Amino acid sequence: MNGPIRRLTLVLLVGIAFLLANVTYIQAIAGPDYRDDPRNRRVLLGRTAKERGAIVDRTGEVLAASGENPDEPGFLRVYPQGDLFAHPIGVSSLLFGDRGLEQTYATRLRSKEDLTISDIVNALLGRDLRPESLVLTIDAELQRVAADALGNQPGAVVAIDPATGAVLAYVSSPSYDPTSLLGPNAGPAGDALTANPDQPLRDRVTNQSYPPGSTFKIVTAAAALELELATPESTFEDPPTLELPGSTATISNFGGGRCGTGDGVSLRTAFARSCNTVFGQLAMDIGPEALAETASSFGFGSDIPFEWTVLDSVFPSGLDDPSLAQSGIGQRDVQATPLQMALVAAAIANDGVVMEPYLVEQILDADGALIEAHTQAEWRRAVSPATAAAMRDLMRAVVASGTGRAAEVANIAVAGKTGTAETGRGNPHAWFVGFAPAANPTIAVAVVVENGGDAGSEATGGAVAAPIASAVIAAWSGR
Amino acid sequence: MTRNAAASLIAVATFVAAFGVTLVNLASDRGVDAQVALTFLVFALAFGSMHVAVRQWAPHASPYLLPLTALLAAIGFAEIYRLDLRLAALQRWWLVIGAALGVLTLWALSRSGTDVIRRYRYVFLVTALLLLLMPLLPLDWGFPIRGRLVNGSRLWVAADLGFLDIQFQPGEIVKLLLVGFLASYLAERQPSLSMMTRRLGRAAMPEPRQFVPLLIAWTASFAVLAYQRDLGASLLLFTIFVAMLYAATGRSAYLAVGGGMFAVGAAVAWASFAHVQPRVDAWLRPFEAYDTTGFQIANGLFAMGSGSLSGSGLGLGRPTLIPFAATDFIFAAVAEELGYIGSVVVLALYALLVTVGMGIALRSRDLFRKLLAAGLTFALGLQAVLIIGGVVRLMPLTGITLPFMSYGGSSLVANFVLIALLLQVSHEERV
Repeated sequence: MNGPIRRLTLVLLVGIAFLLANVTYIQAIAGPDYRDDPRNRRVLLGRTAKERGAIVDRTGEVLAASGENPDEPGFLRVYPQGDLFAHPIGVSSLLFGDRGLEQTYATRLRSKEDLTISDIVNALLGRDLRPESLVLTIDAELQRVAADALGNQPGAVVAIDPATGAVLAYVSSPSYDPTSLLGPNAGPAGDALTANPDQPLRDRVTNQSYPPGSTFKIVTAAAALELELATPESTFEDPPTLELPGSTATISNFGGGRCGTGDGVSLRTAFARSCNTVFGQLAMDIGPEALAETASSFGFGSDIPFEWTVLDSVFPSGLDDPSLAQSGIGQRDVQATPLQMALVAAAIANDGVVMEPYLVEQILDADGALIEAHTQAEWRRAVSPATAAAMRDLMRAVVASGTGRAAEVANIAVAGKTGTAETGRGNPHAWFVGFAPAANPTIAVAVVVENGGDAGSEATGGAVAAPIASAVIAAWSGR
Repeated sequence: MTRNAAASLIAVATFVAAFGVTLVNLASDRGVDAQVALTFLVFALAFGSMHVAVRQWAPHASPYLLPLTALLAAIGFAEIYRLDLRLAALQRWWLVIGAALGVLTLWALSRSGTDVIRRYRYVFLVTALLLLLMPLLPLDWGFPIRGRLVNGSRLWVAADLGFLDIQFQPGEIVKLLLVGFLASYLAERQPSLSMMTRRLGRAAMPEPRQFVPLLIAWTASFAVLAYQRDLGASLLLFTIFVAMLYAATGRSAYLAVGGGMFAVGAAVAWASFAHVQPRVDAWLRPFEAYDTTGFQIANGLFAMGSGSLSGSGLGLGRPTLIPFAATDFIFAAVAEELGYIGSVVVLALYALLVTVGMGIALRSRDLFRKLLAAGLTFALGLQAVLIIGGVVRLMPLTGITLPFMSYGGSSLVANFVLIALLLQVSHEERV
């Protein structure tokens, strides 16, 4: 009966040949697809299992670290500060992608060990395979104060050392806990964050622009001083309403009345009291090209050099008079990111020079030895030192006796400018940009509270945003 | 191949097992420890004693069987050790116990020869049927032998003997008893079963009553599927039956009728049993049903796909993400960590084992021993094809063990005895 047995043998061997064919398909042809399938947890675990370098603030406080995974050999990313640093630091999540500094410095933070033969080669060549770590410019305590002051209101707070460009605080609200984007539930958690109408994932410091409102009057005033069209003491007409040529539109002062007593008003007073009619007229006097050029010298329309791409702020050139008048007071065609407005304040504080803003002070190797330190660099000159000095004086007056009194800090001369930006729909955005101390600034701040925050339609920059800036400046001065 | 060459190959397999354990240790920062020595000793003891027993009681036996099984067991054990240290410790015991029973089988048969199986064939049949029914014993009653429900299937028996509390899957032993019974029964009835007295159209057919055993086997298999929910055992037992009937008679009429009965049974099962449809769905569309029935197969595919050509290396992959990796999905775990190269080696080892076993059958002069060797080899080869076929999506997953590689006491013990029987047949045919 050998015939049937031979055929049975053949059946089994053909069966095994089919197994071989399927295995060949699965491992050789479809293999990469299976390997990279988002539901294949190997990829996620492979990435998170590697040690990643720590990220610490300027004082050494840990903002991100690698912890031992309790469930299996390997490491887990740990964000001990919860949602406080979600936007500057970001997250390293396979299912959701890398964000923030975790993305910018991904290759440096990652361990180079890959458990293959290349490890041995690298070890023989004396290369350090361990992950590098980052020392940030941010001050965790200041960040905490800024986030607490902003509270649950949507908006942003950014603080910069005007002399170096070092970012001291970087708050975007609402925020999210980066830990929620790790692990197996990252998919649904990420989808929920993406769908959230409050947009907690959006980085409002660098990736969201707003009409700057009256804070833009810093640029308009600086342009007038720079072009010698005015001095702080020049007197301007002070109408309650400015009729715009070739248009039915008008500009009115906040509250509707005149700014001064009726006999005209000085630039200093008009700036301190944020007179719209004066600055609308002034913008038209400066002219569309000159004002656009000054805005550009502050950084509008240019890519701000930073750890990631920053949304460009906009001031169009070639505006007609009605548009120019409204743009000169920060409405209509002007859009600015909070980082851009912080740079405007920092430029005035730093004798007219805009330093390149940055977040990473040092990169250290695994032994804590310095590999790279940030080199401070001038980005551009916004205005002359003389103009900057005059502007510091004007901005000091805003806080000393004008709309920004809520920004005052005991024993410190704070300077700044408020803004209450009409949005066309919804409540106005409340702004404050400034610096302190006015004579020798060590910190520049920009605060925006979207749609007035808790104050709603009653919100003004002076009432809502200035106190937040005050808290940040007070905390920084106390350090 | 000389006996000494066979001994060398067994030594190689022993080193493979110990080396595999060492690699797993190194991958998790444990060095060479007692586990390595223990594994080396257990493999040397288990396969060494089998080898000595063969030299003693079956000196003319095929020298290829033991090295092949030792190598499969070594690869399987290294992977089990990587997946679950606790299971590996148990598996070492099962290796020793299985080998002891294999040695015992060789010793017992050295006196009476395999002919003893013929004499007791009806004892085998009755025992097989009783064992098959045992998992259906009440789950909780006074008698110390009870059925057990594991993962929704009624295929375990728990025996609480006071001093010893054991659990086993009778299906594995039934497989052996069935092959023994059929080889004996078919060898005797071969002439009448082969008589083609009727015609159905142009096809020659035997007397209708000759189909009665086939009908009984079909009914038993279907009952196993219906009451024990054991797709694998059901398919395995029925296919072994049909294949041995065909091997004994050479009549394709039995294949045709058996195939027809299988198709009917499969259709009825698919339509009426709640546990069959999900298996088919998971096979055809594992990713659509990812969160439910497809999870295991999809994760097996992820594992194998991640393995690529050379694998992650022992201990460096993540086969623990596959549910039941140590039993049903041991092949996927090996494919992940040893890669395509490992998969091909494993498949080649089974192909060689099938070739060697069937070669013994082909060379046998006595019909009973011929059928016994063919049946045992077919059972082993079919089981490997069925379970690996389920893992690589050639067919629905059946949930049976991969011989010598999967974790499992019943399976390992039964397969050691299976190899001992094959060794004895090959010895007797060369004397």
